[in-house]
Amino acid sequence: MTGFLSPERVGRSLFNVAWYAQGFFVLLRHALGNLAMLALGPTRQVFLKQIYFTGVEALGAVSFIAVLSGIVITTQITSLVGVNATLTAKIMLWTVVRELGPLLTAIIIIARSSSAAASELAAMKVHGELNALRQMGIDPLDYLIVPRIAGITLSVMAVTFYFQMTAIVFGIGFTSLTHGIPFAGTLASVVSLLSLHEVLASFFKTLSFGLVISITSCYYGLRAPLSATAIPQAATAAVMRNLLTIFFLDGLITYAVFL
Amino acid sequence: MIRLENVTRGAIHGLSLEITAGQVCRLTVPSRDIKDELFALLAGHAPPEQGQARLFDIDVYALAEPQRIGLYRRVGVVPEAGGLISNLKAWENILLPAWYHRKLDAAAAEPRVLALLREADPDIGDLRTLMGKLPDRLTALERRLVALVRALLPEPELLVYDFLTSGLDAGAADRLLRLTQRLHGEKTGRVSVYLCPDDAASETIRADVARRVD
Repeated sequence: MTGFLSPERVGRSLFNVAWYAQGFFVLLRHALGNLAMLALGPTRQVFLKQIYFTGVEALGAVSFIAVLSGIVITTQITSLVGVNATLTAKIMLWTVVRELGPLLTAIIIIARSSSAAASELAAMKVHGELNALRQMGIDPLDYLIVPRIAGITLSVMAVTFYFQMTAIVFGIGFTSLTHGIPFAGTLASVVSLLSLHEVLASFFKTLSFGLVISITSCYYGLRAPLSATAIPQAATAAVMRNLLTIFFLDGLITYAVFL
Repeated sequence: MIRLENVTRGAIHGLSLEITAGQVCRLTVPSRDIKDELFALLAGHAPPEQGQARLFDIDVYALAEPQRIGLYRRVGVVPEAGGLISNLKAWENILLPAWYHRKLDAAAAEPRVLALLREADPDIGDLRTLMGKLPDRLTALERRLVALVRALLPEPELLVYDFLTSGLDAGAADRLLRLTQRLHGEKTGRVSVYLCPDDAASETIRADVARRVD
């Protein structure tokens, strides 16, 4: 216990978090200040590829998990409160739109894209490709990082919306088939309960998650030392830091917005 | 155009050199260690421990990184291993700097790329297949050809060739040298710097400035 909480260990952890936070905000500022780089042909190509890999290619796994989540949630609600269309709609909204949609989508994208982006950037650094870009007069931050941050963030937001819609539609659809609750009426209840506050909170949460996942993945890819063993280490570090940050942020946003 | 003043870095000690506009320079190095240091120094990612490196009358390493990167828009570099971007196909690699700096788009670049590749290697075969390959599927000669054409497309004022012919057969090496020497004269004031191993083939490069760096 003493070893685990030794001043040296705690100090090192705090230093790492501070270093990460500093790197995070440097990349965030660079990305926001250089979004115009997406107008360049090669940078736009990287941006579109990133959306394809992170957004489009994730749809299969996201659909599967969203359908099952929707079915499980509505089944649990019905088993707890019986056949009650209004309450089912309310609980679906609370669980899927507020919590599970953003969180599960973030976890899927961290598993698929965070490790891929971090290891790809680390490999490019180890193999001297970042220097090759510099000697062509191309800033790696503009060409590699800005489109990745924009592409991953946009994908997280779009895929989360897709997850939420799929889970709600299939969840209610399943319960209407098995328990006979009115499909259209329950769906209409969900839409009518959806306030602007709810939409904005979900938007803010997914935007934050997207930025965290994209910037953290790029940060760990770029800071990898010049060694082959650094490539898997960068991927692991990015995934772990992303998971910890996403859960922390989820709690923080939920507390700030919904309590 | 290039001025090294008493530069010391790693295995290089007190190197001074001046190359003016329009000149061809041959720098013969006795070892790869020295070549790697010299190449990294000229390519803008290895500051001298002592002395000063000036390109276009600008102290390269006194510049902040974004400005230094901007300066290299005027330079074409052909690394020995190609320096290609691994997730881009050969054609995308060739087009990258010219397209990025808005000098050429794909349609405008295509005739020149084809002409340069055919001149460098008349037996190059199916270019469509070659252009669709990722760098790890290319041979050493193909990688160097792609890097060469990529460096030439933006019409740089300074060209740096890193062991351009090493590891190639005599015929391919000769064609590459003849091509680069012809291209040197295509742009007024262009400087071409060849980093060469200490061998007989390197001696055939006609140069205005020839130095041995050790």
